[in-house]
Amino acid sequence: MSTFFRKNLLPLATLIVIIIFFLAAAQGMNSQDFVITLLRGLSVGAVTFLVASGFSLIFGLLDVLNLAHGTLFMIGAYIGWTVFVRPDTFVDLLTPLALALSGFTLRDVYPLLSDRIRLSLSMKRILPWALILVSALLFILVLPRYPIAGWNLDNYAQSPVTYSYMADQGTRLPPPTVAFDQISPALAIGGLLLVSLLGSFGLSLFDQSARRSPQLTWRSYASFVILLFIGLITFIFNDALTNFLLGLNANWLFFIAVIVATLSGAGLGALMEMTLIRPLYSRPIYQLMLTIGLSAIGVQIVQAVWGRPEFIMPKPTLFNGSGASCPATNFSSWWQGNCSTILLLGGRVRVYNEILIPIIGVLVLIAVWILLQRTRLGMIIRAGVQDREMVEALGINVRRAFTIVFALGVGLATLGGALAAPSMGLSNAMGESLLLDALIALAIGGLTSYPGAALGSLLVGLIQQFMIQYGQIGISIPFTSLVLKPTPPIVPASTVLLMVIILLILPNGLLGKKE
Amino acid sequence: MQKKSSSFFRNHRASFILLVAVVLLPFIVGLFEGASPAAVWANQGGISKFAEGLGIEIFILALYALSYDLIFGVTGLLSFGHAMFFAVGAYLTGIALKTFALPLSAVIGLVFLASIVQALLFGLVLPRVKGITFALVTLGMASVFHIIIMSSELGSYTGADVGLQGVIVPSFINPANERLRFYFVALVVLVLIYLLYQRFVNSPTGRVCVAIRENEGRAKMLGYNTFAFKLAALMLSSFTAASAGILHALYQPIVSPNVADLSFTVTALLIVLIGGVGTLSGALIGAAIYRLLDFGLRRYIGENASFITGAIYVAFVLFIPYGIVGTWRAKSFRIAEGWRRLLAAFKT
Amino acid sequence: MSSDIIIETINLSKHFGALVAVDDVSLKVRRNSLHAIIGPNGAGKTTFFNLLSGNLEPTGGKVIFKGSDLTGQPVHRMIHHGIGRSFQITNIFPNLTVFENIRLASQALEKYNFKFWMNASRLERCERRTWEVIEKVGLKERAQALARTLPHGDQRKLELGMILAPDPEVLLLDEPTAGMAAEQVPELLALIQEIQKTGNKTVILVEHNMNVVMSVSDIITVMHLGKVLAEGTPAEIAANKEVQTAYLGGLYELNV
Ligand SMILES: Nc1ncnc2c1ncn2[C@@H]1O[C@H](COP(=O)(O)OP(=O)(O)OP(=O)(O)O)[C@@H](O)[C@H]1O
Ligand SMILES: [Mg+2]
Repeated sequence: MSTFFRKNLLPLATLIVIIIFFLAAAQGMNSQDFVITLLRGLSVGAVTFLVASGFSLIFGLLDVLNLAHGTLFMIGAYIGWTVFVRPDTFVDLLTPLALALSGFTLRDVYPLLSDRIRLSLSMKRILPWALILVSALLFILVLPRYPIAGWNLDNYAQSPVTYSYMADQGTRLPPPTVAFDQISPALAIGGLLLVSLLGSFGLSLFDQSARRSPQLTWRSYASFVILLFIGLITFIFNDALTNFLLGLNANWLFFIAVIVATLSGAGLGALMEMTLIRPLYSRPIYQLMLTIGLSAIGVQIVQAVWGRPEFIMPKPTLFNGSGASCPATNFSSWWQGNCSTILLLGGRVRVYNEILIPIIGVLVLIAVWILLQRTRLGMIIRAGVQDREMVEALGINVRRAFTIVFALGVGLATLGGALAAPSMGLSNAMGESLLLDALIALAIGGLTSYPGAALGSLLVGLIQQFMIQYGQIGISIPFTSLVLKPTPPIVPASTVLLMVIILLILPNGLLGKKE
Repeated sequence: MQKKSSSFFRNHRASFILLVAVVLLPFIVGLFEGASPAAVWANQGGISKFAEGLGIEIFILALYALSYDLIFGVTGLLSFGHAMFFAVGAYLTGIALKTFALPLSAVIGLVFLASIVQALLFGLVLPRVKGITFALVTLGMASVFHIIIMSSELGSYTGADVGLQGVIVPSFINPANERLRFYFVALVVLVLIYLLYQRFVNSPTGRVCVAIRENEGRAKMLGYNTFAFKLAALMLSSFTAASAGILHALYQPIVSPNVADLSFTVTALLIVLIGGVGTLSGALIGAAIYRLLDFGLRRYIGENASFITGAIYVAFVLFIPYGIVGTWRAKSFRIAEGWRRLLAAFKT
Repeated sequence: MSSDIIIETINLSKHFGALVAVDDVSLKVRRNSLHAIIGPNGAGKTTFFNLLSGNLEPTGGKVIFKGSDLTGQPVHRMIHHGIGRSFQITNIFPNLTVFENIRLASQALEKYNFKFWMNASRLERCERRTWEVIEKVGLKERAQALARTLPHGDQRKLELGMILAPDPEVLLLDEPTAGMAAEQVPELLALIQEIQKTGNKTVILVEHNMNVVMSVSDIITVMHLGKVLAEGTPAEIAANKEVQTAYLGGLYELNV
């Protein structure tokens, strides 16, 4: 133990000096500033935690540094916004999505089909390409004619910014009616289905070594039928569903938006893992390139679909009131007025940002903790983080666990995005800075440790917010009359410095396992 | 002797042809726009001057990527703070020329010293942290450096977040009117350092660096003080990156704080991955592809360029699994297999 | 005769938390002997080796080599003192050729490690030594193959070659035959014995194959639960009641 101190004298001393400064500075704050800063720190910490924990689960089990995690967080925010502000768009998208996916569930059927086809060798070479080409052409032909209500980036009155603003004012537009453009609905739906079938069949033909499924049971068709059914139902009841969502209380709608964002994140994660990440387990460094590439693609897609300008997402009405009784002085008056702010110890606290988000952060923390500690999957994950080869040797289907963990990790990130959207606002750059914060948090807490992710995120959130606050009030240096005012760049520097010092003392972070 | 040198030429025929082509490039471009070689020589051709500029940028980027390949590809140290090596060279050059009006030789000496100091700084943490933790610590150090040059307190020297503007470049190498000379200077620096690197990886020292990449514990047990070798690689790399920084500051004559950013390190990483990790020549090819791709896409596609770039990276990873040079050497371009990999998803 | 002792440990211990892997081991190894260490799985043999070679820092005790204290020396100094070590779990450079693996091993003691302007393939002494060793361990045909493509038995030979190349005085061999096909084992042990005899070397050998241990070694130390249970010539060990009841009886058939 004493050798530990001797070896790390310099970083430890620095750390102690920093802590003293930090606490001394906190002395100079009045209690209302203190409360607000504390809660803001918790809020930032909670959002960071949602990104960091998923990142850490993925890194721990799969050894993949998912640098697209920040972008996925951002995508979560935009999906959440879409469902919340433009439910009609969301409903319109369901049918084409279900149809497009349906073909890919028939993978057991395709080998049989390709066996039936007798073709010359050269034709066999061409066939998959031809199918994919036809599928793509058909897609380009059909999709623009399929009615999807949306927004218009070039027209300010119809831009996401405007829709956001109107939703915030409580006026939800009746959806602009869009109609099939020179195509009959049946043809459009059939076309989309054909796109999916041809495309997936074409892709499956590349795979000569495909497992021949000897028997086709009802299972081979089940998911196809279900997806088809969903596609049709959402098509037939499109208007009803839209009106239902529009008529819904905004709180419920927000809830739905968060759930949808989380689930689509999980789906996206599973898809990513199965198609792109899985081939790369043997070449870890190229995962970096892949995830960087995906991240760039993601940002571009977001820019193309939702535009470059930043906009805000309205808060659910429960947290958006500003009546005469606001700011609320206690929770019962808050409940009556649905105030957006509440007075705590004299400080004016935003309920959504600084109370709800930390609470949800803690709830997720507990839920995932239970998942890890109490379920079989959690057991596999924990064992796999410790020693992946061992778990593989035990014959456990680690692959499935990989997919699930990736889905879970991305789901957590998109959940964070949707939750943070009303407090942070939506911008194309929101993912990048958060990914960096999450990385720092993980390095501080321990890269593969779940409690470490929580602790690190908390520290990062608190330090950032306190530094911002100090920037306004200044840090009076003990025993002198000097007052130090951290300039804005010091805020990111403070967490980075803390990370470097902690890593030099404890290379595995505060709670990381020792080598 | 005669025989030996002729076989040397034969073995490296492609490289020599490429080198000659690069030397002649400005003149050939000049012919296309109707400027005679003499006019190109006098820096009069418009398009050829532009091509020279693009070439210079590629050389600088190649130098920078080469230095990253040495520590990452050859020695196996994953650093996320490499941009700092470059930025120190660039900023130091800019400040020394602009604020202190030092002669160029003094600037080079100064940058040399600074590059050794920062390699030692990285070396300080080297024995303590390994793998991804080293990457994070270097990221941290580079971020702190980034923040320092961005801070308004040093604004009068560094230009804070606007960057260092108007570096005063010695006239004999001023890229505005002596661009062809600059082109050849940059090319010569690149070729010399590339040859040095080739020699380095095949030297006793370089072989140990490769051994460290493959299995550091074993290299230690064989009797190598791996720390010293890693430090040596870091120093050479740091100096190379800083030289690239000098050229950058002279060529641009603006140094933006972006060159100290994480994304500039990622640029080096991407270039090395595109070219092939640990191949050295891959860094050169990768730099050319990266810069030309960037230029071409921005010019002809505009706003959505980074979508295509992203898609190209993904395609690279799937179809050219070990980078261009690496895959070429392994003779395993995997077009069909790339698809099959994607499809492995359908086999559960 | 203390000069006769080349390596000595004094009360060497290693604790992993509550587990005492090596418990107060005092051992003397005579110069030019083939000293075997045996013991059941988990007895602490590998840990003991790790302490000797500096891979682990002892919790207590000392390692004396030729009269000077080696405790706490960094790993990479060991070969410079003349102590080489091989690993129970194959530890090679998987993506380098067999030749390069051994060349690196023989380069380590040369003076030109930092001459980065030289071409490594022109170092003739090193090159010659490498071929010598490759021939000795019988990997000449596979010299240009990547180490990871070798069958396991050949990888063990390579591992042995890597410790022979710098020609150390003391060889610490941790189960050099682990996982080898049974018919290859006597061949390899004969080689080890030959190297030890002709080169005047000291070999400390951990080995599970009792028959071989009994036939090749000069002296045997039996470890059990981190402690030295017995020490003596093969005949003494075979006759030792304690060893037989406590350990050998149930596990190995002795036919000396
Ligand atoms: N790094 C370590 N951390 C914790 N415990 C360890 C470590 N290394 C070894 N041990 C424990 O120390 C004990 C001795 O292990 P060691 O590998 O030295 O045995 P061994 O005699 O070499 O066995 P084998 O015949 O299987 O090679 C074992 O119980 C092992 O689990
Ligand atoms: Mg052992």
